[in-house]
Amino acid sequence: MSTDAEVTAADTNAGATQALPALDGTETTQVEAVSDSPTPPEERHRLTGAGLAARGLVWGLLAWFVLAVPANVFSPFNLGVSDVGAATEAVIFGIVGLSLNVLLGYTGQISLGHQAFVGLGAFTSAYVVVDLGLSFWFGLLIAAGVGALQAGLLGAVSLRLTGLYFALVTLAYGAFTEQTLLGITAITGGEGGKSAPRPAGFETETTYYFLCLAFLAAVIFFDWRLTSSKTGRALAALRENPRVAASYGINVKAYTLIAFVVSGAIAGLAGALLAHHDEVIVGQKFGFQLALLFVLMTVVGGLRSRSGVVIGAAFFALLGTGKLLVMIDKPLGAIGFSLTDFVEGTIGLPQEFVALVVGPILLLITITLYPGGIGQQIAPIREWLLGRPFDRHAGKVEEVTVSDVRA
Amino acid sequence: MSDFFQELAIAMTAGLLRGSVYALVALGIVLVYRASGIFNFAQAEFGTTGLFAAYAALELWGWSYPLAFAFGMGAAITMGLLTERLVIHPLRNSSKVTLLVGTAGVALAAIGLQFWLFNETLIMTMPRISEKYFVTPWGAQVTSQALIAAGVLVVVAIALAMFFRSPSGLAIQAAQQEPVAAELVGISVRRVSMMTWGIAAALGGLAGILTGPILSFTAAFLSFGAFAALLPGFMAAVLAGMRSMPGAVAGGLLVGFIEQLGSLSLLSDTVPGAGAAMLFVFLLAALLIRPQGILTRGAAVAA
Amino acid sequence: MSVLEVKDLSIHFGGIKALQHVNLRAGEWEIVGIIGPNGAGKTTLFNCITGFYQPTGGEVTYRGRDISRLPVHKRSGLGIGRTFQNVGLVKNANVLENLRTAQHLQVRYQPLAGMLGSPGSFAEEKRISRRGGQILELLGLEDVTHERVADLPYGVLKRVELAAVLATDPDLLLLDEPGSGMGPEEAESLGDLLLELRREFALTIVMIDHHVPLVSRVSDYVYCLNFGEVLAEGTPDVVKRHPEVVRAYLGADETDEVTV
Repeated sequence: MSTDAEVTAADTNAGATQALPALDGTETTQVEAVSDSPTPPEERHRLTGAGLAARGLVWGLLAWFVLAVPANVFSPFNLGVSDVGAATEAVIFGIVGLSLNVLLGYTGQISLGHQAFVGLGAFTSAYVVVDLGLSFWFGLLIAAGVGALQAGLLGAVSLRLTGLYFALVTLAYGAFTEQTLLGITAITGGEGGKSAPRPAGFETETTYYFLCLAFLAAVIFFDWRLTSSKTGRALAALRENPRVAASYGINVKAYTLIAFVVSGAIAGLAGALLAHHDEVIVGQKFGFQLALLFVLMTVVGGLRSRSGVVIGAAFFALLGTGKLLVMIDKPLGAIGFSLTDFVEGTIGLPQEFVALVVGPILLLITITLYPGGIGQQIAPIREWLLGRPFDRHAGKVEEVTVSDVRA
Repeated sequence: MSDFFQELAIAMTAGLLRGSVYALVALGIVLVYRASGIFNFAQAEFGTTGLFAAYAALELWGWSYPLAFAFGMGAAITMGLLTERLVIHPLRNSSKVTLLVGTAGVALAAIGLQFWLFNETLIMTMPRISEKYFVTPWGAQVTSQALIAAGVLVVVAIALAMFFRSPSGLAIQAAQQEPVAAELVGISVRRVSMMTWGIAAALGGLAGILTGPILSFTAAFLSFGAFAALLPGFMAAVLAGMRSMPGAVAGGLLVGFIEQLGSLSLLSDTVPGAGAAMLFVFLLAALLIRPQGILTRGAAVAA
Repeated sequence: MSVLEVKDLSIHFGGIKALQHVNLRAGEWEIVGIIGPNGAGKTTLFNCITGFYQPTGGEVTYRGRDISRLPVHKRSGLGIGRTFQNVGLVKNANVLENLRTAQHLQVRYQPLAGMLGSPGSFAEEKRISRRGGQILELLGLEDVTHERVADLPYGVLKRVELAAVLATDPDLLLLDEPGSGMGPEEAESLGDLLLELRREFALTIVMIDHHVPLVSRVSDYVYCLNFGEVLAEGTPDVVKRHPEVVRAYLGADETDEVTV
């Protein structure tokens, strides 16, 4: 291999022809620069004092909403135990969403059995803590390991099948896990479920919420580094064009497996957190409808959009537990309107089914009209919060691309 | 040991009868795949829609059986056409995987509507076409309803085979293989697409309406629907290499049988959910060993 | 020792014999041209060399090492870079991101370290971004650094692809129709660029192209393929005049050399 050629561009006038430094120092060939625009497109956007203050305010609001409100600190809402519990579940679903996003969004693999990773993680952790007597933290670790292992095995299978057929396999695997694996009463405690106690120091709803929030933050950081490093780039390349990826030296099979393992580990972790949140888990919780719900919230959240996926997951979690309607009703109550009454009374839709009806409609709208999902909608705000100028067209997505697989 | 064989015979009978339903689902899946290359995850929900509509007509509004049946079929077909119009057509240039997610969304929407309109726990029973049943020499209980379903399957399968040799049937295949060329010779790809989905929905509706009455059901717990018939239907279609109609029929019956094997006391005592386990193992084996299908006729092209 | 040697290579797809007993050699720092009508098997040959296809007979040797069984990504790792007929880039990413992706094998941290955000990984990311930027500047592409690949015109993309493949730090460069879509002046510039790059980066280049003048000017040696076989080989002048080659391009001996 040739040594790293030290190329220094002596003249960087855009619009001028560029001289290629020759080996002997003389200028020989000219290469035309591509365009004549004088300003490079991404210049450091200078923040004014007002801009900084505005952004700081919004960040502060977000922080208050996520940190202070659930703790009932500086907050006019008096959140009860079940409210905070719902918030915790929203956070855990956020972690699941990020996990599925790695498979569906980054690698382009459809997983219709993702609830199996979460469910087995849940029961593994319960087993480790209750039956083996190890600490909660060990439970988390081993649950992540079990998730990674399952996903890795499925990943190996995926290498031999095209995308649509693999989707079928995940479907069958989900059914298999739900009925067979989770049916083994010795591990899952049958109808009565299995107990999964809270760890020492985090027994209250509020403390457990912050614990899960910390994990969500960690997963978000991890995901950010994943996409900003060579793994993320490798996945993006192999998702779109495996041949080109291979010609860049990317081992497509190995990186696909890495994606599965990472996804499975995070899902297992989420499962463990879920188990100890519920404190008693039953196998029936992890059925096929959960698989569809996970895909739903990830696609509606916006594939490959971290913030979108987390918000989408939280939205569906809160909707599912019925908390969202209650939340919306609190401010609406001031003007004498109750969304819950409207939905249940006028439309006749029982509150528990709102998610099930609203979800698919949102999914279909996302796929056909707004492929970038929630992520696309909040992209302008997100970019602005990160210090860039407000651009209404940021994050434009043309269509929901999972992968280019022909099957 | 004769107990085992008797169990096996019973399983076989039950499997074949159950399998005729899976075969109808599989036919719909193969039809859609051949016509558009899409995996239709809403195929089973065409059935549940037809079923619930027929139920409403029959039990809630007091219509006669034939009318209710027709209404159910109409509902199913309408759902199929709506799916084509609102989801398939707008996404026709998207990747197949996106379309799969789209059909899954349609399935979920149907499930949600059913839960809403029929209340999750309302137990529904539908009268069967015929209440007769009889017991075979080996102790299997066979309802006339199930036999009728099997009979319908045979008729439909033959009809479909003939249809595909007809000009319309050829048009469907032409439109899938070479849409531009098909348009040039005057085949309306649009019309073909709607025809395909209408027929697939009709197949699904038939399967649903015929099976529904076999057991009492609730919106949440169906002996049909996405939770029960979709996966076996797809397995049968996979066995047929996603191409062969007769293969789909044979596949459906085979899958029905394999699932019933899980009910053999030998297995069901040791392995919980043995039916699902059997299906999973079998699907994996079929896809890894012979992805082009086991029950295909002649030179099969890998999908 | 030659850099690349293709010995007695054959491949067939079903009944179609795409390549038959092809022999080809590229020596150190040579530019070897491959010409031939469409369907002659030129890209198929590249696919065999890079590992996308497994030949049914013969072998591919790189610097004396038989690489016929190596998977594609390992061959890239040995220093074989390749461009594609319809531009091989990650279309949904921007240009700089493509340059970083191309440097996959140059990145010095392990995947897990990257995911955990090790300090070394941050530094490495800066380094490869900088290096990517330098290569873009070399080819006059700094203005499109942050543009999405899918939004760029074809001509620019061909150059971006060239930048990306240079970023892989190759020894052997396989170019599949780098001059496609170019008029005679552009092709001339491209020729200059290729000669310059060979000098700058000490490359061996094998290129497929239809611009016979371009190929003639820059190549040290030329092979003409037709129907999967080597029709003629030699220096550009010899090949241009070869009767078989003329017949393949023009159908009959209308002129005594190919000037198309």
